[in-house]
Amino acid sequence: MSDLREDLTRFAPTEAVAAGGGVGGGGGAGVSAAAARRSGGLGVRVGRLFEDYGMAIVFAGICVLFTIWTKGLFIRPDNIVNVLRQISINACIATGMTFVIITGGVDLSVGSVLAVVGIVIAKLLTRLPGFIPVLPAIILSCFVGLVMGGVMGAVSGFTIARFRVPPFVSTLAMMTAARGVAFLLSDGRPVWNLPVQFNFIGRGYVLDKVFGPWIPMPVVIMVVVMGIAHVILAHTQIGRYVYAVGGNEEAARLSGINVGRVKMFTYSLSGVTAALGGIILISRLASGQPGAGESYELYAIAATVLGGTSMSGGKGTMIGTAIGALIMGVLNNGLNLAGVESYSQNVILGAVILGAVLIDKLRKAG
Amino acid sequence: MVRRRHGLSRILVLMSGLAVMAVLVTGSDVLAAGPAPAKRRIAASLLTNKHGFYQELEDGLLTEGRKCGFELDITYAEFDAAKQARQIEELISRKPDALIISPCDSTAVGESIVKANRASIPVFTVDIANRSGYGSVVSHIASDNFEGGRLAGQLMARALGGTGKVIIINHPSITSVMDRVSGFRDYLEQYPAIQIVADIPAWGQRSRATAIMEDVLMMMPYIDGVFAINDDSALGALQAIEAARVKRRIVVVGYDGTPEAVAAIRASKIYGDVVQYPRQIGVLAIQTIRDHLNGLPVKPHIAVGVGVVTTDTLGSR
Repeated sequence: MSDLREDLTRFAPTEAVAAGGGVGGGGGAGVSAAAARRSGGLGVRVGRLFEDYGMAIVFAGICVLFTIWTKGLFIRPDNIVNVLRQISINACIATGMTFVIITGGVDLSVGSVLAVVGIVIAKLLTRLPGFIPVLPAIILSCFVGLVMGGVMGAVSGFTIARFRVPPFVSTLAMMTAARGVAFLLSDGRPVWNLPVQFNFIGRGYVLDKVFGPWIPMPVVIMVVVMGIAHVILAHTQIGRYVYAVGGNEEAARLSGINVGRVKMFTYSLSGVTAALGGIILISRLASGQPGAGESYELYAIAATVLGGTSMSGGKGTMIGTAIGALIMGVLNNGLNLAGVESYSQNVILGAVILGAVLIDKLRKAG
Repeated sequence: MVRRRHGLSRILVLMSGLAVMAVLVTGSDVLAAGPAPAKRRIAASLLTNKHGFYQELEDGLLTEGRKCGFELDITYAEFDAAKQARQIEELISRKPDALIISPCDSTAVGESIVKANRASIPVFTVDIANRSGYGSVVSHIASDNFEGGRLAGQLMARALGGTGKVIIINHPSITSVMDRVSGFRDYLEQYPAIQIVADIPAWGQRSRATAIMEDVLMMMPYIDGVFAINDDSALGALQAIEAARVKRRIVVVGYDGTPEAVAAIRASKIYGDVVQYPRQIGVLAIQTIRDHLNGLPVKPHIAVGVGVVTTDTLGSR
């Protein structure tokens, strides 16, 4: 498939030359055709570059725009650190979401799972340190939270894989139920008074003493998680299975892939990454909130789709998702810095999501 | 197995015995009180029971209601205006003596109030007003949010020594918050040296307030004060200020006085909070209903006072 596309792009300029020659006049067309002929390989290479990194170019464009608009404020290193920290939660959630969407599914429950896990961890953290030392308490609570997230994802995955409940419905049910559980467990109130040491995860800096406040912990977590996810997706058997299931489920089944197990894996993973987002969030806010993470599923889906993952499955990369999350974060931050009021911000964000994906579609179709 | 069943039946006997005793006790109580007039029934559709503010308000309704011998039937609409409309219809069909509403939507609620008016059930609103322009409400009982905003302005002016640049973290489209903000602006008008340099919505959410505050610190590192329209916004802004390791003092003034914010005030991280007395709103609502049902005249607007909490007031307690 990719070979075919390569061939087509390689042929395109030649055809353009032929067409230009055939019409025999059309000044503009002739000139551009000539230019294409002269630049030869380079033109093709630029075309290929745009093909593969279209969204990266959009992202770079947005960055340049904001740098000019905010008179350089945007590009300052401390602001870059801000942006990276602001996207870390969405990027973690979008990591799991990418796997799910590549299999052709969707996970609407991530925001609610994040909230439940946040409440549970916060509750554990306010009670455990009385019985065991703080550090083991933090590790244990986080571990329990991650397992919980995984189990909740697995429950959705099980109903989807075993009973063929549409992912939209199954995860919608989980989203509703989990939100209820978050409110039940917390009695509708924030859970606070978390141990100070826990702050490090969301607000600390790695190697603070050496580098100063430049490497936020959430950013490190994000990079590690996305790195691992990239390796799994691009270089392991399970990664190939994920693409196979999304590309053609029946073919995957016939070639001996346990489709149900692959789906279970992706939804569990999505639960775990949502839980991880929850850990970062409650540490950043220093409290567990039952209402946290509302509409986070939509931000995660937006980041994934902006990154070029196809909602119909079979296509997508972690690098794409990373760029998608960056575009979302940069838009939020840049528009704030440029002083655009928030109603217009939403309109712009919506337009960019639609516009970027449209460009992507047209480019691939054309 | 047999033994367990034995235990179960023993528990059942015990429980039924208790039930009989309970009936006897309460029964004798009623007998002792003599033939009381039929209990007045008050129905309520509240915004939510998931929020500390409303939990306290409900508590005020219940305790004062018990004192007045009212029977309360409280339902929650959970921020869903359509659900509230259905809920009020059901409540009206049970023909209560009075109806308490805290509207999910100040405009949409008009329809429901008209229905209650037709059934000649007197309507009282608490915390959030009816702004639909139709339907008649006997009395509206709420915090004086404009005054609260003025108090917040006073706290800010005092903390800044009358000069500085201030931002507002807002939640537009909520009437009570709009009153707060206009009160805040109104009070600060007498301090020309205090400039309000930005007014940004965080929709009352903590995580949004954090992100916005990070951007504000980048955009205007010179600001001296933040007025946050609720405590989630205040605490969210505080996280960003702490994370950015700002060396200068940035004054944060919050609103509501939730336990978490009070702890931050005690630690001198938040300068002060305007506090409402939701329990008092509930109590006054019941007293107003009692007066109205007894044929006494009541005021159409009852403003419940607000107060402030600062490190000083906490220290003196």
